[in-house]
Amino acid sequence: MLKVFRIAKREYLATVRTKGFIIGLVVAPLLFGGSALAMIIFENRVDTRDKVIAIVDRSGLVARTVVETAEARNVRTVYDEESGEKVGPAYLIEVIVPDDADLDAQRLELSERVRTNELHAFVEVGPGVLHPRGDPVGSRIDYYAKSAALDDLRSWVERPINGELRSLRLQETGADPVTHEDMFDWVSASPMGLVSLDPETGEIGVPRRSSEAEALIAPLVMPMLMFMMIMMGAVPLLNGVMEEKSQRIAEVVLGSAKPFEFMAGKVVGGLAVSLTAATVYIVAGVLAVRQMGLADYVPYHVLPWFFIYTLLAIVMLGALYAALGSVCNDPSEAQSLMLPGMIPVMIPMFVLVPVIKEPESTFATALSLFPFFTPILMLIRQTALETLPVWQPWAGVLGMLLFAMLMVWAGGRIFRMAILMQGTPPKLGNMLRWAIKG
Amino acid sequence: MDTVEIRRVTKVFGDLTAVNDLTLNVPRGSVYGFIGPNGSGKTTTLRMIMNIYYPDTGSIRVFGEELHGTSTDRIGYMPEERGLYKRMKVRDILRFYGELKNGTDVKGEVDRWLEKFDLTDWANKKVEVLSKGMAQKVQFIGTVVSRPELVILDEPFTGLDPVNADVLREAVLELQAHGATVIFSTHDMNVAENMCDFILMIFKGRKVLDGTLSSIQDQYGSDTIRLRTDDGASALESIEGVERITNFGKMQELRMTAGYDPQKIVAEVMSRTRVHSFELARPSLNDIFVRIAGPEAREAEEASHA
Repeated sequence: MLKVFRIAKREYLATVRTKGFIIGLVVAPLLFGGSALAMIIFENRVDTRDKVIAIVDRSGLVARTVVETAEARNVRTVYDEESGEKVGPAYLIEVIVPDDADLDAQRLELSERVRTNELHAFVEVGPGVLHPRGDPVGSRIDYYAKSAALDDLRSWVERPINGELRSLRLQETGADPVTHEDMFDWVSASPMGLVSLDPETGEIGVPRRSSEAEALIAPLVMPMLMFMMIMMGAVPLLNGVMEEKSQRIAEVVLGSAKPFEFMAGKVVGGLAVSLTAATVYIVAGVLAVRQMGLADYVPYHVLPWFFIYTLLAIVMLGALYAALGSVCNDPSEAQSLMLPGMIPVMIPMFVLVPVIKEPESTFATALSLFPFFTPILMLIRQTALETLPVWQPWAGVLGMLLFAMLMVWAGGRIFRMAILMQGTPPKLGNMLRWAIKG
Repeated sequence: MDTVEIRRVTKVFGDLTAVNDLTLNVPRGSVYGFIGPNGSGKTTTLRMIMNIYYPDTGSIRVFGEELHGTSTDRIGYMPEERGLYKRMKVRDILRFYGELKNGTDVKGEVDRWLEKFDLTDWANKKVEVLSKGMAQKVQFIGTVVSRPELVILDEPFTGLDPVNADVLREAVLELQAHGATVIFSTHDMNVAENMCDFILMIFKGRKVLDGTLSSIQDQYGSDTIRLRTDDGASALESIEGVERITNFGKMQELRMTAGYDPQKIVAEVMSRTRVHSFELARPSLNDIFVRIAGPEAREAEEASHA
């Protein structure tokens, strides 16, 4: 046991002391979180240049409303009230008289103006837009711009036009929109978290509004973290063991320790690396989230499970990668084994989104009970789903435990055979034979 | 009591019988040299003593016990190819190897050996910057810092310059003086002749020689004449009773037919050229090695098979 610990200690220090580990500790979350951060930063950095939009109102009903709405908006949002700084673009509406004689020529002319950036876009409102049911062609509203489909302005311009049209339709029925102000009010359904009893006070908790961030980000952060733990703790064992084999370090170590002690030491060292990184991330992450006032989003009930899964995943996969490393003689062989070796870790990443969306589906349940996928998928389901049957995580852990034992046993046997066998290329047949026959 | 007792051990790898029915006793406190051509089974034997390989048949007892399935902290082992973590510092890796053997006062031993081998300035450097010879010395230190009672060295002298080879030789003899048993393999017959209490020669997995140098030489008798003459090898062609001439340049070694009178040979040489020195000797280990494993022996063996 002492030797396992000593090998693990060396492995741990050799990894943790490197600059790569320390940089990785900082860089990895930046990579994952960086894109989210970049979105937040760049969202506020909008283009403040004014946008000129031409409107060709062939119905003659809505141009004025659009102009008025744009002006009202410009007063409200373009300049910051306190600093007087310009914070957004003004929408300047240019009303174009429709050239019914040659519509195509007018469109071409306006398109050219968009191309030369004189205009941001132009909107063409069909003549029959007030009663679209009878006239699908003449009732169109067409938005022409360089990237029309993604343009936020397209949906902005819809609102004043449709508002005005509804108002006009109401007037035709004799109702007065001025006296019925709430005629078009729209009430959205708020997403709410389930209500639970407070275990301390026995009171019924206050319903809490849940957000997309909670529904998506929290379940995503945990598996990402788990994936990183596996990448840091288990996957490097493949190359590590290969190096020890090819540089004949294995022979020296095996003069002092049994093959199983050697492999166990490597795995425990990898585990220690993972748990170190996990602790840093979890503590820093929880502190940061609380600092941001989002403490409610921390899935505390999942954190103990996270550590249990990390432990079992590193043992299970660590033994696998150590065994794979022991059959490789050089980096190129290790490289070619890396891809198939990564499959058990990659599959759960591919099915993240379907599992988050429907954590209760049979598909999600079955996959999450497969030991290789349990650490990532069960974690998602536990975060996303409060009502996950209690037996499922335990069944997952039991499966992982059995599988980890199998991996350690089989990996140990392969390791023992292969670690001193120089020059024999890695073959699945050999590995199976060594695992079964010993 | 013998430190190592090997009884009728055979080890087969696939089609190759690496070690074939080997029996050997290594007395406590002795220096035992393993010689033999490349691929004859020396390293396999050493690894079996180390319990890295298990014999297919037969038994190996070290310190009077069978070690099957266990590693022992009382043995130090230096493999032929150097096994050092390149990115570790010299002192750290030596402490790691020492502690892995549960050595006592590893720190003190590491510093003592580093100083002895003139490596103190390199203690905090990474292994990757060491020269080959230095790495070899570091590997040796890693083998002995735990003060093992049995030290097994696979080709310890290969690649060392004469100065470092001397330092290593002294270190090995010092280990012996402190009571350790040392087994090493070598290609250098001079080293084997000068250092070893006992010599084992393995050829194609079989033991062909085993014993003290003089007992081995006695098997061949005094059948060797060493000569220095004016004309060198050219004066020695086709002399009756000479089986083989080994030309060292300034000196020639003649192997006599068994039972032939050396005086007659000397007389013949003297009739041809001027003799500076003449010595009737037992064959050198080098000569014995060549007789067993040299091209002639191989041809003879092939002829007998054919």
